[in-house]
Amino acid sequence: MGKSDSLLLKAAAFAALSVMSSSALAAGSDVTIVLDMQPDQVDACQASKSQVGKVIKQNVTETLTEIDPATGKVLPRLATEWSQVDPKTWRLKLRENVKFHDGTPFNGEALKVAFARLLNEKLDCEIRVKYFGGLTVDVSVLGEHEVEIKTNTPVPILPTLLSTVTVPAPSTPHDDYSRQPVGTGPYTFDSWQAGKNIVLKRFDEYWGDKPAVTSATYVWRQESTVRAAMVASGEADIAFNIAVQDATDPKTDFSYLNAETTRLRIDVPIVPLDDIRVRQALNYAIDRDGLKGTIFSDDVIPATQLVVPGTNGHNPDLKPYAYDPEKAKELLKQAEAEGVPVRKEIVLVGRHNFFPNSEEAVQALQAMYSAAGLNVKLQMTESSEWYDSLFKPFAENRAPNLFLDQHDNTSGDASLTIYAKYHSKGGQSVLNDKELDDLIDRANVATGEERTELFQQAFKRIHEDLVGDVALFHMVGFTRVNGRLEFKPTLATNGELQLAQVKIR
Amino acid sequence: MSGYILRRGGQSLVALMALLVLVFFLSRLTGNPTDLYMPMDASLDQREAFATKHGFNDPLYVQFGTYLVNIAKFDFGDSIFQGRPAMQAALEAFPVTLRLALITMVLALGLSVLIGSLAAYRPGGLFDRVASLLTISSASTPDFWLAIVGILIFSVTLGWLPTSGTGTFWHWLLPIGVLLVRPLGLLTQVVRMSMISALAAPYVKTARAKGAPKRRVVFVHALRNSMLSVITVAGDQAAALINGAVVVETVFGWPGIGNLMIAAIKQRDFAVLQACILVTAVAIFLMNILIDFAYSRLDPRIRG
Amino acid sequence: MKLTNAFALLRRDKLAFVAAIYLVVVVVLAIIGPELFGKTATAINLRARNLPSFDLNQGWEYYLGSDSLGRSVLARIMVGARNTIGIAFGSVIASLCIGGAIGIVAGLSRGALGNIIVRSVDVIMSFPSLLLALIVLYVLGTDPVNIIVVLAITRLPVYIRTARAEVLEIRERAFVSAARVMGASGFHIAIRHIVPLVLPTLLIIAALDFAYVMLAESALSFLGMGVQPPDVTWGLMVAEGRAYINVAWWLSFWPGLAIMLTAIAANLLASWFRLAADPTLAAGRKLADAAHA
Repeated sequence: MGKSDSLLLKAAAFAALSVMSSSALAAGSDVTIVLDMQPDQVDACQASKSQVGKVIKQNVTETLTEIDPATGKVLPRLATEWSQVDPKTWRLKLRENVKFHDGTPFNGEALKVAFARLLNEKLDCEIRVKYFGGLTVDVSVLGEHEVEIKTNTPVPILPTLLSTVTVPAPSTPHDDYSRQPVGTGPYTFDSWQAGKNIVLKRFDEYWGDKPAVTSATYVWRQESTVRAAMVASGEADIAFNIAVQDATDPKTDFSYLNAETTRLRIDVPIVPLDDIRVRQALNYAIDRDGLKGTIFSDDVIPATQLVVPGTNGHNPDLKPYAYDPEKAKELLKQAEAEGVPVRKEIVLVGRHNFFPNSEEAVQALQAMYSAAGLNVKLQMTESSEWYDSLFKPFAENRAPNLFLDQHDNTSGDASLTIYAKYHSKGGQSVLNDKELDDLIDRANVATGEERTELFQQAFKRIHEDLVGDVALFHMVGFTRVNGRLEFKPTLATNGELQLAQVKIR
Repeated sequence: MSGYILRRGGQSLVALMALLVLVFFLSRLTGNPTDLYMPMDASLDQREAFATKHGFNDPLYVQFGTYLVNIAKFDFGDSIFQGRPAMQAALEAFPVTLRLALITMVLALGLSVLIGSLAAYRPGGLFDRVASLLTISSASTPDFWLAIVGILIFSVTLGWLPTSGTGTFWHWLLPIGVLLVRPLGLLTQVVRMSMISALAAPYVKTARAKGAPKRRVVFVHALRNSMLSVITVAGDQAAALINGAVVVETVFGWPGIGNLMIAAIKQRDFAVLQACILVTAVAIFLMNILIDFAYSRLDPRIRG
Repeated sequence: MKLTNAFALLRRDKLAFVAAIYLVVVVVLAIIGPELFGKTATAINLRARNLPSFDLNQGWEYYLGSDSLGRSVLARIMVGARNTIGIAFGSVIASLCIGGAIGIVAGLSRGALGNIIVRSVDVIMSFPSLLLALIVLYVLGTDPVNIIVVLAITRLPVYIRTARAEVLEIRERAFVSAARVMGASGFHIAIRHIVPLVLPTLLIIAALDFAYVMLAESALSFLGMGVQPPDVTWGLMVAEGRAYINVAWWLSFWPGLAIMLTAIAANLLASWFRLAADPTLAAGRKLADAAHA
């Protein structure tokens, strides 16, 4: 007891004396970045996960190509040129004079090893599952810096897919996850103290320009308030995913389209949602302008489709449904007159901790539907339950539901969205429309203008003829950036943070 | 004595097994990690392949058998999400939590005995009223709220303390302060009430009548007797802390076991969950043995 | 102690009297609040978000301000009283009764049963309450009643252990031994001699637990495993409001204050009850006073 008392006294004395000696303030060319959660892994083959990508993608391990976030164009990175030999064969020229952090050179052989590891079924790598499902890839080395890639089916968007392929050093264990990734990037993976921080250090033999930031420390805090406070108090330089209400300082807090799109999936096969007038009413009943600038940021864009502008296949001609509660009521009245049970209870499925303010958002949506005369019950789910309802098989005798869904597609092409979400065979699709299936199937094997046009037609059919969902917003994220840095977040920021692009004032 | 310890240890081992069985089967009522692990656009076939590969499609008794066989080989399974041995993750996180819990409990016990006895010295007096009011109100403040307000006041506005994280002595102050209020408030109340009872008991009166000095009566005779209930409540609080000061760990970003456990619970990362519970359960069981030992020392008539 | 006597006694202790009045108001709100103010509490107005407290221009319902959806904080507190008090009361009573009974049995039995109970307590203590909450949430759904189950189970150990520890001490006392020598049955001893002695301690713990349970419920909401909207409790309001501490302190402050006041009132009343119900304590108080003088 005496001991604890004296400890406390000492502590009090220290606190009284201290002016500001406590925390190491970020300074110089070292930066501290605060994420909202710790990455579970840092293996190169998981770099498509946003928490992993923010740390290692293009910093530690680089990809073959890169997507320009502004235009959606494919840019060279580790591959400098590509050309299609036949529908199933591509040739790549690789960048010369590139070294891995362990000193081995980057060449055709290294890429072959990397591809074999990426597609290794013993590992549950996200890049394989997400982008190379059902695809076999055969890499043959033509020269030191030239390879040929053969696939079992035609892949017209291979250069786009290559923007997901990270290349770790050949020394990376083939059958195990690496907690110390080695790549070709401008930063080496220095250390990972689990739970505490990850440190990257500048790689002096990098092939490209020398970045300004010499080292980066990643930490993670769950609460948005705390992350914002860390930049405000000078402990951190960049804080990700700040909630709208914490983004109070326009000098440090930047919004960026984070590629996520929010929608309600309408359970089309179930009465009364099988009636198109009810589905239209669901769209007209939402006051998107009221939500914008309040629960959602002022910078969100009302959405008409599930891919963001700039994605190949995005249809710019579609118009969002206007807020027209009278029209909604009128449509419901018409439907009711024809015997559609529009007062039947509809379940609005929300998800806990989905995105900032998502709890408020679903409550507001419910209120708007109630005002339109619909009987909507809110049901909050925990993430695993939410996934249960997202995927097929759907329960046979389920209650009609509106399902809060969010989707991001940073690949630059609509195909990764549209099949899973809308094709009758898609794992998350409630639609079953022959015409739409046909459009999607044709688009998936087409190239160029034709591909774009077919996808655009498909989105038009979903939005106007089928009314398969209530598209809400293309979402924005907020980052808080310390004034001593020059860094503007982009569409790609959700999945990567290129330290080389961070400048120090 | 060694016979007692042996018997007690054996019983605890059985209870530990029961706990593991319970956790294994109950946690699997909540689905499996396939959907949470796989990217959203993965096909149904890919999901099936994943679930089969990791054994989630096997009947539960088969999964349990595998688990038991592996445990016998001291293999506690791999974390699906972290791709490394689950026990490694649990053992990495546990010392952080243990340190937090120990410091908090030592401070809480010391302060509560002091404040509680002083308050019981003269029930209804000024010190008693003020101390009771303060401890009860602090103990009834939500800890996450206190933590965030603490950060905003002491780190952002005043700039005295770091917001969060670990490292220096200063990093400890806010988390310990937030953790402390609840056990301190509860224990102070318990100390106060048992002291009031104890001071009214006949043997204390006897001691007084025999001329034992007042301070000695309060701090030795009465305190010794009131320690029984204090230790019970303290044990309960300590168990809660060892199980992870989840809220404080998440707000302040401390890499403790509570943080690890909640992530594992949300991700259905069963191997990590089981490893965490095994580690904390052993600690809690050991603590309970110590508490029973303390009971019998404080009151020799008691033999659990 | 007759009811009129109790009231007279209560009147004498001013603080306890005020506490009692506060609790009565809360209980009345819990009974009729949702019926009276349910509409006001759920009316969303996105154009009147985060109105500050103490502004009467918007009508009485906005006196404590409005939340992030423009709902009246005051009305939500009044409506939330039912779930809050219901959950806290339900789980405290459940764990007090069940835990107390099990603890007394454990204390009285000298055989295997006592041991089994004590080791089961170890098991319950080591079972993370969050996992329990998730299982209940996932299997049984998000009904507030289910939260009672979670909280009651997690609070069992402290009652079992306290009751057992008290019984172990009491059963060695002269009068219990005497009763046993005279051939009284275990059940008779438990009801007649032991329960009255154990109950005051358990009640004190229950009063403290009242606050503890409200906070645990709040912490569950913070972690996303507690009461789910559109249901509302004070704990949930604090958890939701914490995201706005920077811009609208009143969202989490008022429900937090309601929790705190309820906790203080419960404790004041419990402590008054203990002093009033136990004549020996009054004597002890005199002794202590005398010692002080």
